[in-house]
Amino acid sequence: MPEAVLNLLLIPLIKIVVLLGVVLLIVAYLTYAERKILAYMQVRLGPNRVGPKGWLQPIADGLKLFVKEDLIPGGAERFVFLLAPGLIMVPALLMFAVIPFGEPFKVGGRTITPYLADVNIAILLLLGISSIGVFGIILGGWSSNSKFSLMGGLRSAAQMISYEIPMGFAVVSVLMMAGTLSLVGIVEAQRQAHIWFVLPGILAFGIYWICGVAETNRNPFDLPEAEAELVAGFHTEYSGMKFALFFLAEYANMMVISALATVMFFGGWLPPFPNLLAGLWASPVLAWIPGVVWFAAKMGFFLFCYIWFRGTFPRYRFDQLMAVGWKWLLPLSLANVMLVGVLMLWWKG
Amino acid sequence: MPVKEFFKTLVPVELFQGLGVTGAYLFRKKETVQYPEKRLEPQDRFRGMFGYSLERCIDCHLCAKACPISIIHIKDHTEVEEVEGPDGKIKKKKTKVIDRYDIDVKRCMFCGLCEEACPTDEKSIWLTTKSYEGAVYERNEALYFDKERLGSWEGFVGFPGVKAPAEGQLPSDPLGKKKAAEGGA
Repeated sequence: MPEAVLNLLLIPLIKIVVLLGVVLLIVAYLTYAERKILAYMQVRLGPNRVGPKGWLQPIADGLKLFVKEDLIPGGAERFVFLLAPGLIMVPALLMFAVIPFGEPFKVGGRTITPYLADVNIAILLLLGISSIGVFGIILGGWSSNSKFSLMGGLRSAAQMISYEIPMGFAVVSVLMMAGTLSLVGIVEAQRQAHIWFVLPGILAFGIYWICGVAETNRNPFDLPEAEAELVAGFHTEYSGMKFALFFLAEYANMMVISALATVMFFGGWLPPFPNLLAGLWASPVLAWIPGVVWFAAKMGFFLFCYIWFRGTFPRYRFDQLMAVGWKWLLPLSLANVMLVGVLMLWWKG
Repeated sequence: MPVKEFFKTLVPVELFQGLGVTGAYLFRKKETVQYPEKRLEPQDRFRGMFGYSLERCIDCHLCAKACPISIIHIKDHTEVEEVEGPDGKIKKKKTKVIDRYDIDVKRCMFCGLCEEACPTDEKSIWLTTKSYEGAVYERNEALYFDKERLGSWEGFVGFPGVKAPAEGQLPSDPLGKKKAAEGGA
């Protein structure tokens, strides 16, 4: 087999298949985890009938959604209505292409990188792709020809655009510290700095996390699908597999936000306190654990936080949401950029 | 506003307190009872399915009169028997025989007024059997109890540990008299 075919076609193809499989599997079991954790927080048991401890529940849910009747409302704009779920699902999966999950490792004398691409403008790419997701929501909401869907879509557009700005500024402070836009480069910068960026950038992390929760339309910012007032928001009229795509995209987006938080603020695949405890107890044990495990553990914690927030916080009112975004997070994130700049000047002399 | 209070408003302590509460609940013992496998035992005063004792019943019809929707149907006749009295004379002895004692359970609202009206010391009709699994597929046949059915609960799933009325189980303290006596003493 020619080397070029192997390098350019076969290995990326295998990586894509593995990545898609793992991501979709995690997304499916994230729904199970969410139901279970929420149930436990409410002193209930959660799903426990399908399979041992309910382990097969996501598969049963998926099967149900597959065979369900797929309705298109009479007054719907057919083409856009069909396009919207794809428009939200594709960007959500596309973003996983640039997220580095671990260190490069060797298989048969060949170095394999556990990520699809190390793009040198990865963060810009991610921010760009994630804004395409808004189109899926607003087009889905508009084309359904229903007042609930339309209002959900409009709310979502307003919310996602407002919160992208402070999120961008929070990311900027990380870029200043790392000096690169590449996600692999950011992790390497944290390795060289011997510190996770969350310590100098605690404010940036706070802003990033709040905006990340708002971007994914999750509690306490789940106004686009506020069931008390909008039934299910932008996906009220969707059913069957198209509804499932909206659902999966939401969870895939949660995973992306969590993965980005891990990479930018918590040292990606690096063990805790990189090189800080090298001479102490930590080194042999922590070095032995592969980086992917650290990455998964950190990402898992953030995903748990998403569910934790959902189990804890009530929903914001819409004007409060806008006020928090524009009056607090935006000035705060701008001030944070200044602060990080001053800190860096002071640090490097 | 004092300066200290102002800075307190900047730090969202309440949010973390809230997270702490839900986080603690995550590890609590779960309250759910897995119903078909495990059952909760109802309280002593819980009004479940009927119990009826033909032996205790004195055929006074008070339960039928007390029933607000008249779903207790009683039919009886009097049997006259000639017996020799202690002084050697032959006396006529009348006995009332219950032919029919039906309860149309499908219309019953389980108010318990029949049990309250029953004058026998140990109630002849009672609802404190703790049986609540009365769901059936065909209500006209399955939920019309005649006196045999009331006495034996044939084909009826009772609460575990609760015997069918034919086996003579009584409500332990249906009206709470014992408890009241204990409380008074």
